[in-house]
Amino acid sequence: MRTKRTQKLLSLLVMICLIPSSLAAMSAEEIIRKTDEMQTFDTAITEGELQITDRFGTKISTFIAWSRGSEESLIEFTSTAERGQKILRTVDSIYLYYPDAQELIRMQGAALRQGMLGSDVSYEDMTGDNDRLSQYEVVLDGEQVIGDRMCYKLSLTATTRSVPYPKETIWIDKEHFIVLKGEYSTKSGRLIKEIDVLETGRFDDLVLATTTRISDTMKADSQTLMIIRELQVNVPIDSRIFSLDELSW
Amino acid sequence: MTTRLMKTALRNITRNMRRSLLSGIAIAVAAMSIVLLFSLIGGMRADMETNLKDFYSGSVQLQHADYEEFERYNPVHLTVPYQEITEVLDTIDGITTYVPRTTFPSSLYIDETTNGAIGVGVDFAQEARYHDVEAIVHEGRLPSSGKNEIIMGGNLAQDLHLKIGDQVTILSTTAARGTNAITMEIVGIAAFPVGAMNTSTFWAPLDRVQYFLRMDAQVQRILIKTEEGVQEQQLAATIAQELSSRTGETYDVRSWKQINLMYSFIELAQLIYYFVGVFFFLLGSTVIINTTMMVIFERMREIGTLAALGMHGKELVRLFFLEGAFIATIGSFVGVLAGVGITSYLSRVGIDFTDALSGMDFEISSVLYPQLNVWITFFVFFYSVAIASLATLLPSKRAAKIEPVEALRYI
Repeated sequence: MRTKRTQKLLSLLVMICLIPSSLAAMSAEEIIRKTDEMQTFDTAITEGELQITDRFGTKISTFIAWSRGSEESLIEFTSTAERGQKILRTVDSIYLYYPDAQELIRMQGAALRQGMLGSDVSYEDMTGDNDRLSQYEVVLDGEQVIGDRMCYKLSLTATTRSVPYPKETIWIDKEHFIVLKGEYSTKSGRLIKEIDVLETGRFDDLVLATTTRISDTMKADSQTLMIIRELQVNVPIDSRIFSLDELSW
Repeated sequence: MTTRLMKTALRNITRNMRRSLLSGIAIAVAAMSIVLLFSLIGGMRADMETNLKDFYSGSVQLQHADYEEFERYNPVHLTVPYQEITEVLDTIDGITTYVPRTTFPSSLYIDETTNGAIGVGVDFAQEARYHDVEAIVHEGRLPSSGKNEIIMGGNLAQDLHLKIGDQVTILSTTAARGTNAITMEIVGIAAFPVGAMNTSTFWAPLDRVQYFLRMDAQVQRILIKTEEGVQEQQLAATIAQELSSRTGETYDVRSWKQINLMYSFIELAQLIYYFVGVFFFLLGSTVIINTTMMVIFERMREIGTLAALGMHGKELVRLFFLEGAFIATIGSFVGVLAGVGITSYLSRVGIDFTDALSGMDFEISSVLYPQLNVWITFFVFFYSVAIASLATLLPSKRAAKIEPVEALRYI
């Protein structure tokens, strides 16, 4: 009788011990939601550079980017070869502005798959929003160490055809909720693009990726390093900056 | 004896005019076809040579040493310093003129769609010294240096519903391996001789293209024309050597024949057509063989009589050979004459291959002008006489073997 009571008590104790850990464990959806939240700001001004390496060598293009939410951004290139060129992303389109062209170029269809300035970052990569849960079915595959950071490993399968990559495998830093590594594939599983965060940095209270390597597997001997030098978040930005009328200023 | 044989042979030809006419026409048609074929190939060769030298590679082409290796990756940055190179070119004998060219794949942005096209940056003033550049203007005028103007291939303009005065935004990869776009005005519609150029190409002033592609004073290639009789391959080697010793740089300098494989194919085709010609004549000659054999069988009684009267086998062979040779000579002469006549007419009016060549990237003009080569025409004449005459030897020898007794049995 005594033994039975002891067993019941032990079972209860075990259950009590287990409750906090099951409550603490995040679901795949929660991880994604938290990551999307961490990577989206009301407004942001970013200064950085693209180091584009191909079979002919490495070239550097510098830029300043203004963004509002996850769907509006303007990138202006400041390096000599591309000075004055701008890329405007609005809610539904991407426009290119070239100082010597008398019209804006709207990117659509196959043109979206072109690399921005010949880099491994396509215009298509700039599309989509940060609400991945509405576009992908997410499965938590477990945990894995990337570099020296413990990460969640997640598999994402697109539920809509409007996304650039039907399949994604991403590794999210457990502590800072940054995507440290990503593999982006076709529906059949053929790898199209790889992303690796090489360095992270602290901007005020935020820890973000500062050096990211992007490789388009379709392009031989090619990689792009995206380096963030300066970041200001939640600063006032004139909303007109994201309008077509203001694009040529 | 020979004169008598010739007279007999001529008389025999006229004895059955319809049969002789048939043989002669067969030879004439074969000879005429070959003259036309060779004239057409001659025209193609000459046309291709002109187009290649004027629009593609010059007699000698100079470009960056690595350009060809990476050509499929559009290496706009692999350029050559035009000014520095021309200083060296001006000191080399055998060069008459040269032009800078920069060819770049581009997209024309029209009504929110991009359309592929090939842009070429040219120095129009220098082009005028190099070839008859005004001849390409079908409508409007050539673009002016320093202005954002283009002249566009007629078919390309038609396909894109563009006309003179329209503005076109051109997108391309720059020498800095970035992208750029520029808006230019169409000031002319071109009628390039090559169909592929008409459907895909536009020309713009070199200085604007250099600015657009961020090339500074560099160009993609230099096309060089040589003096008559200069060995182009040898001159290319001399230029490469001079540039290497005076600038310390290695360049890809090659003659047009080394670059353009298609021309070698045409040369090979010509060789093949010589063999095709042989078969043409052999085909024509079968009519002669057939006719001669029929003659022999029909004139068995006559052969028997001639043999009984003491005519030797060799003389019989000679008689029938002469008959064949006469028909061949007359047939070939008429055929060659008809070929020459048709060729001279076509060389004036041309043959329009626009539909056949549309969509083909082939450096041959849409309208071809057959070109008569006097030596080849003479060759065709003697060649057809020889083959057709030799073809009669076979049945003639058969006639010689006929025994008089056997022949006389037909009496």
